[in-house]
Amino acid sequence: MTQKEQKSSGASPQESVLAIINSKAPFSSSHGKDALDVALIFASFEQKVSLFFQGDGVYQLMDKQDGSLLGMKDYLKTFSAFEFYDIEDIYVCQQSLVNRQLGEDFHIDNVQVLSSIEFGLALNRHQHVLRF
Amino acid sequence: MSTLHLIRQSAFTSNDFAQCLSVLDHQDSVVLMDDGCYNLKHSLMDSLIKRVGGSVNINIIASHAQARAIEIITAVNTIEISDVVELTFTHNKVITWQ
Repeated sequence: MTQKEQKSSGASPQESVLAIINSKAPFSSSHGKDALDVALIFASFEQKVSLFFQGDGVYQLMDKQDGSLLGMKDYLKTFSAFEFYDIEDIYVCQQSLVNRQLGEDFHIDNVQVLSSIEFGLALNRHQHVLRF
Repeated sequence: MSTLHLIRQSAFTSNDFAQCLSVLDHQDSVVLMDDGCYNLKHSLMDSLIKRVGGSVNINIIASHAQARAIEIITAVNTIEISDVVELTFTHNKVITWQ
């Protein structure tokens, strides 16, 4: 157990470099698209990126959305490329979902729903944070 | 004097919708558009629907709700963006909340 702890604490500064918090709804501003671009750029340089969805940002993950109805390119479809870019840590604030009466129907897999406390702890494991 | 209220922001991040409701008169109409569509699931919406026996005319832009995967409830009318033009003529003034 001690060994395991040492391993995880030793590895965490390198493994969790950048956290990106998404806090805006997907279609009325470019924040979500900008966050996605930054995430994919960092990931393509093999920097470990984690994505956090909080507040209205949780709407970016909801299933059955269709940006093409609003005459825009639907960047949410690119979320399915996260696996290819080795972006594996995707966290959602449970309280934000509950407040908005949303279920856990996401359009991508491997999404982890965390309580407010867990969400904060996960965020604190990262060296740098960018919020969009 | 009737007013058309255009709600364009989510009440979960701004208090525009709350401010709108505080000045809303019973003969006014409300249109939920853009991120305002998210307000359908906000607790303020329940109070609006219950208010004055549901006499306030509440509308939502169909394509804006559908793009956001929002289920439309029966208490609100589904309209198109072109219908908003008509509404601006049937009301004395327009307030855009954004």
